Amino acid sequence: MRRWSTDRILGWAAADFVVLVFALFPVLWIVMLSFKSPATVTDGSFIPNEWSTENYSSIFNGNSPFLDALRNSFGIAAIATVIAVVLASMAAYAIARLNFPGKAIMLGAALMIAMFPPISIVGPLYNMWRNLGLYDTWPGLIIPYLTFALPLAIYTLTAFFREIPWELEQAAQVDGATPFQAFRKIIVPLAAPGVATTAILVFIFCWNDFVFAVSLTSTSAAQTVPAALSQFTGVSQFTAPYGSIAAAAVIVTIPIIILVLFFQRRIVAGLTAGAVKG
Amino acid sequence: MSTNVPTQTGAIAEAPQRGLGRRGRKPISDRAKAERKLGWMLCAPAVVVMIAVTAYPIGYSFYLSLLRADLRFPDQREFIGLDNYVTVLTSSLWWSDFAHTMIIMVISVSIELVLGMLLALIMHRALFGRGLVRTVSLIPYGIVTVVAAYAFLLAFSTPSGGFIPHWLGIEHDLVDQGHPVTSFLVVILAEVWKTTPFMALLLLAGLALVPDELLEAARVDGATAWQRFWRITVPLMKPAILVALLFRTLDAFRIFDSAYIIGQNGTNPKIETVSILGYNQLLNRLNLGLGSAVSVLIFICVMIIALIFIKGLGTSRPGEG
Amino acid sequence: MGRRGIVLMGLAVLAMALLAGCGGSSGGQGAHLNFWAYNEPGGTFAGAAKRCTQQSGGRYTIEFHALGNDPDTQRQQLVRRLAAKDSSIDIMSMDVIWTAEFAEAGWIKPWPQAAADKVKQGTLKGPLDTATYQGKLYAAPANSNTQLLWYRKDLVKGEAPKTWDDLIATAEKMPKAGRIEIQGAQYEGITVWFNSLIQSAGGQILDGPDKVSLAPQPTEAALGVMAKLANSKAADPSLSSQKEDQNRLAFETGQAAFQVNYPFIYPSAKENAPDLFKNLGWAPYPAVKNPADAGRKAPIGGFNWGVGGYTKHPQEAFDAATCMRDEENQKEFALKGGLPPTLAALYDNKEFVKAYPFAPLIRKELQDAAVRPQTPLYSDVSLAIYKTISPPASIDPKSTAAKLRDRVKNALESKGLL
Repeated sequence: MRRWSTDRILGWAAADFVVLVFALFPVLWIVMLSFKSPATVTDGSFIPNEWSTENYSSIFNGNSPFLDALRNSFGIAAIATVIAVVLASMAAYAIARLNFPGKAIMLGAALMIAMFPPISIVGPLYNMWRNLGLYDTWPGLIIPYLTFALPLAIYTLTAFFREIPWELEQAAQVDGATPFQAFRKIIVPLAAPGVATTAILVFIFCWNDFVFAVSLTSTSAAQTVPAALSQFTGVSQFTAPYGSIAAAAVIVTIPIIILVLFFQRRIVAGLTAGAVKG
Repeated sequence: MSTNVPTQTGAIAEAPQRGLGRRGRKPISDRAKAERKLGWMLCAPAVVVMIAVTAYPIGYSFYLSLLRADLRFPDQREFIGLDNYVTVLTSSLWWSDFAHTMIIMVISVSIELVLGMLLALIMHRALFGRGLVRTVSLIPYGIVTVVAAYAFLLAFSTPSGGFIPHWLGIEHDLVDQGHPVTSFLVVILAEVWKTTPFMALLLLAGLALVPDELLEAARVDGATAWQRFWRITVPLMKPAILVALLFRTLDAFRIFDSAYIIGQNGTNPKIETVSILGYNQLLNRLNLGLGSAVSVLIFICVMIIALIFIKGLGTSRPGEG
Repeated sequence: MGRRGIVLMGLAVLAMALLAGCGGSSGGQGAHLNFWAYNEPGGTFAGAAKRCTQQSGGRYTIEFHALGNDPDTQRQQLVRRLAAKDSSIDIMSMDVIWTAEFAEAGWIKPWPQAAADKVKQGTLKGPLDTATYQGKLYAAPANSNTQLLWYRKDLVKGEAPKTWDDLIATAEKMPKAGRIEIQGAQYEGITVWFNSLIQSAGGQILDGPDKVSLAPQPTEAALGVMAKLANSKAADPSLSSQKEDQNRLAFETGQAAFQVNYPFIYPSAKENAPDLFKNLGWAPYPAVKNPADAGRKAPIGGFNWGVGGYTKHPQEAFDAATCMRDEENQKEFALKGGLPPTLAALYDNKEFVKAYPFAPLIRKELQDAAVRPQTPLYSDVSLAIYKTISPPASIDPKSTAAKLRDRVKNALESKGLL
């Protein structure tokens, strides 16, 4: 092992520290804000002068739109994720393993869709949904999420599936396993991490969306957290909603932090999967 | 929509060579036919969904843009040709919003490229704490854009008790329309904070492609760290840099969430972007014709940006694309 | 985390989604009416819903749903759903300026003769006009509103200023708290201000439902007042982002001696700033010219209850809406929410006037108020106005007036980007 000079150690420590502060400071601020008492929310201090959990109790109060929004966010994101991953797994399997004409076109088209400006399809979707009765419903959001999640999922899964040594499956069959056994015992465990990573990325993507949510929903029937946040009214008109916004912001950030902490390596791998093989 | 698009350098100039290449050679055997059929069947559901919810609406959007279609006056619906486009393109609002969008896009992407490169170098080369840095920088990436925007808005806005004006002793609101420069600054800051990690990860993937031996050899030959970076690392990373720039530029052009939230639900005209403009026509005025014309124009802009980059990418990798 | 962990995590997410899918639905007898209104801070709208539900004896239940805080947000929330023919909007609170637009688009039902007669009885003419479109009653006036000049008697010596010039001069001279709180943000509120000013100066925005007026002289006079205030020492530093509630807050925290605002600030000051409340004075809305030769034109606002165009229970909705604006409820709106009544009888009620001491002044202002243009394109017109005149500090009366005429004309043709 090389000996590190003190300068280099200090330099890298400083760099690490700057990154930590850069990444965490805004999050810390929102957390601080969420613990300010309603009377001190607008006092301009960074650390609360009066600590209180009132903002949290206000958003978990039965009258608050937040609980419904949280339920919608989870439900819509989870369903969209499951469907997107299933459809994308089929497509990615085909692209990674089978030879058929049109797969380059398919990948190109998916890439184009990923580049689409969502605002360009929001208008027609609103008009279609209002005629079909899908406006302000779960499917009304799940469907557009699928389109943008599918390219993401297909790309990530294709990259993962290409890494799988598919020959093992045939080897197992030669050794006497049934095709299903071979698939379940050999392929599924190899594919699972890629599928899980893709699911996480798709989930984060749906969880994050604002354009579709704010355009295609409007009540607690389907409004997701980001859209609900932008319309928070506070407990009453007399109390600024900033405290509740901060509290709600902290709550929706928790699942992301959990995912990031547990699956850091996978997310990085997923995001950079194809890029490495350029 | 935020930065969740995966970036697959390889995929852009995709060549379907992998898979079962050996068998693929045979001239249309039964087996190949079956394989082809299975491939199509497996892809069909995904393709159908993607076409149904993007290609069709885009076409429909184009159709609507040729109509006078204001939902408040359903009886007045009629075909008016390119009138809506004339209205949009002769409106000073479109051009000022276009300028806002470009300002935000150019400045934030440039800053992100520099910071992203630094962050990628830290992730790649740091003596210690690499795992920690990677984990921590994923937090801005994963955080809901609206939440990030609120964090910055509430920190900078005076009436909502932001700590920054309080620390600086500033009494006016930094993010109201009376103060366009600081308003832009806050939007750009929010964008940079949220998306630099994404940029860094893409660049990190590119850094991994630079062989250590090459750098070591250059070092032995007496090249300084700066020379090694500019003469070896950057040229080898060029495709990765272009891909990262492509994705971020497109993403920044579509900016909606942070500009909308920081602009107090899109009411600060000084940081109104083209996406917000389209949204206002479509969903607040319910003027689908005019709004669709804006949407189609945004779509065209995005396509132009993509084409420019893909061309650049093609020339950066001779033999491919 | 191993593979098993990932799989478990995935299952957990799926389970949550399934659980989330099973939302509860509420049952009950009688018609279930959804009442969409902004969350009046005194809680009186929700209270009215509750009271009328009880009084209906099981014929209907009214469920209150809160809309956003400012009228622009409320309109956005309603309009998209109405355009989607949403039948779950049975009753809605409508800002007085939406009547023409909503009626024209078929988003609200005209009131049947009998129900309309009941609403008209004893209702002030001004508010009733705001609920009428092309001779038909389209909504029940629930509360009216107007702005007064509120000031601190401990800081302002003698009578309150009568004209804007006076007001600005007085505030600028004050040693402390020499600020005037008014709505300067880019939203409906600044259109309200402009509309009052131009009418006070003898002009108007529209000439009929589809013609621009905006005569140069009064328009420039009105814009001149706005620019003068915005660039004076009396302006709040965040004028260009201030709405009614920020005004109230600044006034309550002692930063300003004056505020031009609606009476909702009265119950609020009583509760939040009792010391200041003791010295709270009120005066008529200031005039542009010398009050001797021009009228004061205070804004008229307020909310009407409309019945959704796609409701499945129109009869019950009309009855419930009528109930939610009866004398008892309007008294609650006024006393707890500070919202002026639309029923004449309340202004003559001694007990009410005692608790609501500025009632006579309000009634007087409402008799000759500055009504905003009545056109189905109102929201576009207002958008065109407030996008042009804000921030008020950058108004240049001559060039802004020209720009204004141009944009309002475009808006009336529902052309142009806004």
